[in-house]
Amino acid sequence: MSSLLLPSTRREFLRLSSKGVGLLAFSRFAPQFLVQTSLAAPKPEKDRRILVLVQLAGGNDGLNTVVPFTDPAYHSLRPTLALGQKEVLPLNDNLGFHPACAPLHALLNEGHLGIVQNVGYPNPNRSHFRSTEIWETASAADETSSSGWIGRYLDNACAGAPGSDAPEAVHISAEVPQSFGGVHPHNTYGLSLGTRAGRNDSALLERLAAQGAATGSEKSDTNHDFLRATLMDSLVSEKKIQRIIDTNKPETTYPGGQFAQALRNVGGLIAAGLSTRVYFVSLGGFDTHANQAGAHTALLRQLSEGLAAFQKDLTARGLDDQVLTMTFSEFGRRPNENQSGGTDHGTAAPLFVMGRQIHGPIHGTAPSLVLEKNADLAYSTDFRSVYATVLDRWLECPADTILGTKQDRLGFLG
Amino acid sequence: MTPPLDPREAWQPLPASAWNAELARHLLRRAGWAARPDEVARAVKDGLGNTLDRLFPATPPPLPRPVFLPLAETRKAEIRSLRRDTTDPEQRRIYEREERELERTSGVEISFKWLQAAADPTRSVYEKWFLFLTDVYVVSMEKVRSAELMFKHYDLLRVNGTGPAPALTKAVSRSAAMIRYLDLELSSKKAPNENFARELMELFTLGEGNYTENDIKQAARAFTGYRNGKDGFRQNDRDTSAKTVFGQTGPYLGDDVIDLIYQQPAAATFLPREMARFYLTDQALPHEFFAPLGEAWRTTGFNLRELCLRFFGSCAFYAPTFRANYIKSPIHFYLGLLQDLGLDVLPLQRTTLQPLRQMGQTFLLPPNVRGWVGGRLWINSSTLAARRQLAQTLCTPLDEDRLNADERLELVGARDAGHGRFTVDNERITSFTSLGATGMAERLCDYFLPVRVTPEYRSALTQFLGENRSNEAEVKARSATIAVLQSPEYQLC
Repeated sequence: MSSLLLPSTRREFLRLSSKGVGLLAFSRFAPQFLVQTSLAAPKPEKDRRILVLVQLAGGNDGLNTVVPFTDPAYHSLRPTLALGQKEVLPLNDNLGFHPACAPLHALLNEGHLGIVQNVGYPNPNRSHFRSTEIWETASAADETSSSGWIGRYLDNACAGAPGSDAPEAVHISAEVPQSFGGVHPHNTYGLSLGTRAGRNDSALLERLAAQGAATGSEKSDTNHDFLRATLMDSLVSEKKIQRIIDTNKPETTYPGGQFAQALRNVGGLIAAGLSTRVYFVSLGGFDTHANQAGAHTALLRQLSEGLAAFQKDLTARGLDDQVLTMTFSEFGRRPNENQSGGTDHGTAAPLFVMGRQIHGPIHGTAPSLVLEKNADLAYSTDFRSVYATVLDRWLECPADTILGTKQDRLGFLG
Repeated sequence: MTPPLDPREAWQPLPASAWNAELARHLLRRAGWAARPDEVARAVKDGLGNTLDRLFPATPPPLPRPVFLPLAETRKAEIRSLRRDTTDPEQRRIYEREERELERTSGVEISFKWLQAAADPTRSVYEKWFLFLTDVYVVSMEKVRSAELMFKHYDLLRVNGTGPAPALTKAVSRSAAMIRYLDLELSSKKAPNENFARELMELFTLGEGNYTENDIKQAARAFTGYRNGKDGFRQNDRDTSAKTVFGQTGPYLGDDVIDLIYQQPAAATFLPREMARFYLTDQALPHEFFAPLGEAWRTTGFNLRELCLRFFGSCAFYAPTFRANYIKSPIHFYLGLLQDLGLDVLPLQRTTLQPLRQMGQTFLLPPNVRGWVGGRLWINSSTLAARRQLAQTLCTPLDEDRLNADERLELVGARDAGHGRFTVDNERITSFTSLGATGMAERLCDYFLPVRVTPEYRSALTQFLGENRSNEAEVKARSATIAVLQSPEYQLC
């Protein structure tokens, strides 16, 4: 499909470069796209496994998502926000979904959704930024890492399909996720809704980008080098990706709203057979300090309906056995509701894993709600053991090396 | 990163003998948006001290207040009373929609007014300083939901933006927009809300690691009873009992806590470090590097103008390590384009506010309470595509026949107000082509780019401009200009 456009771009790169070797040294990704034959259309890989990360930005209230509705402590912690037996969608005798999670409830009953309970980490940080950083870099609370866990996965030899110029990871969010940052730079692609590439002839720009100030070293990593590499990569990628999205015909109707539309685009890119292994989508607004009830319902509805449509689309396209979707949020919220009808920053919370390969509905143990006044939940599953399970059993790479720590594996992938 | 200079020398004034055109360009691009040749010449002639004195006025000009704002406020009051009086749910929804629309339009008006002010080269440096303050003391229209309150918050940042930092921080704690944004209006003696106290210490004054969770809990009690009513406080909701913050105990109220904060060692280096992040480098510099600057700042009573004069006049600011390697923010990129090309703000949302959003920076809408992180996070394939599109739009004559009636009206309004050069017109391009291929390539590289480009880059341009038949010269000149503005080198300052 898109290969019709690409050869001319590549020939331009080659023809205009006065020094072919210089170009190779310049573009970190050039060897890949230079060796690939220009006639090769992307082929869907049957054994390809893809991870879709869904960020619930702001700190999702776990206790009102997966609700311990029979626990008297829950009702006394949440005098106005608590959901009762009549409202929740039962998961077992003690737990029920928030009523806005009906589509997720159905997926769980079909065996395609798993809940990992009470996920957190030791010495929790209640700053949005720091805690997001901890989750995205998979570091311990008392250490900082400049690389993200997905970036380190991409650094690892197991990532990506050789001989491809597709981005290794794609995000649909205003900012590049910190989890994408590798020790080595990667060809990642940001897609925001509504942005289209300029139609100006880009031949001169390609030439200028290839021939800017000499760096003198392949290892050079200045902002200037970064800008040049990003521009070159995007010149190649953008034609390809925009074409796919323009012609995407999903097998189901997605709800409106940016979140579901982002997933719709992800579905289209996966179906087009891109070699991209990781997608990142973000839904914001979970920082419900005040008047939580209505806002949280609307957010969970967006989340549930979007995820369900995405899974339905994948299933209809026969891709559901190749895609694992996982949610995460920087923290859960305080078990005590506050007096503004909201909840403050907390610690552990459940997360969701979705896909045809999911084994078992509920994993880990539920938090204890026997707590001191205004105290936080004590996590029982380390988020890095969720990552370790995904890296090891889904993406099939050395999880402990990538995470720099040895974590237990969980049972949600069998 | 390792600091380029010894901290003791870094913050000494730059020797007058070192001042030259290259450093003036660096100052104008980093403290403002662009280095226009006339401004560079003036700065060199005036000297660094006089230039800074002029660029950072002791009494900054006020933020222009859009005429639309008071009209919108009047109409909103009417709508609210109409909505109260109706029982028809459909009618209520109509009023609610109208109110949202009024807020949206007011926000758009504030954005345009500020962009127009900031594009004025005589105001750029102060307007960028103001943008920095909005990036520290963050509020967002998304939660504040009132253009009027956003405007008042921005106005107080400006009014207090040249005085002592503690006074600014106290003013911020009383800002109605902030009281709403960080939930102070919900915080009471019985139920203190920690949101403001936490961000005050983490993001406004000290930085993470310089306070304890207990300091936050106790400080939150001091910031109780702050309200957006007429009196500002609800006495019954204020917690006047003893608190222990930073190891000191007393019946502290909010202002006392702010005074205690500024006694902390980290308060002296936090804002200088934020300035370095905003103006100098996206690499983290150690706190110790800022210690001498912080101590000097403390002795001025944390005077913000004094801090600016010292920071922008220091050896550190002009260190070669910090030159031509900082990635422009989208607002910087846009306003820099206007100044480099000698253009006015095109008052159409489609061509101005929409590209800013696509590039990743919407005035009034920072992504979260931390503000914009910036640096390499500005750059990805889609934001680069948006930058390229904007450069092309501004270099292409506006096809006014294709505008809708509202857009034409906007243009008429802007022209009446003395703004009329919205895009690079044919006349400008014609006079540009008279320089010839080599002359044009030189002009493009030397005026627009902070980086000394390779001979290959220059010759690629000259070759492109040279290889044409005579009737193509203007098309080529325009294309070459666009390509240079889209190139990686122009994204740097």
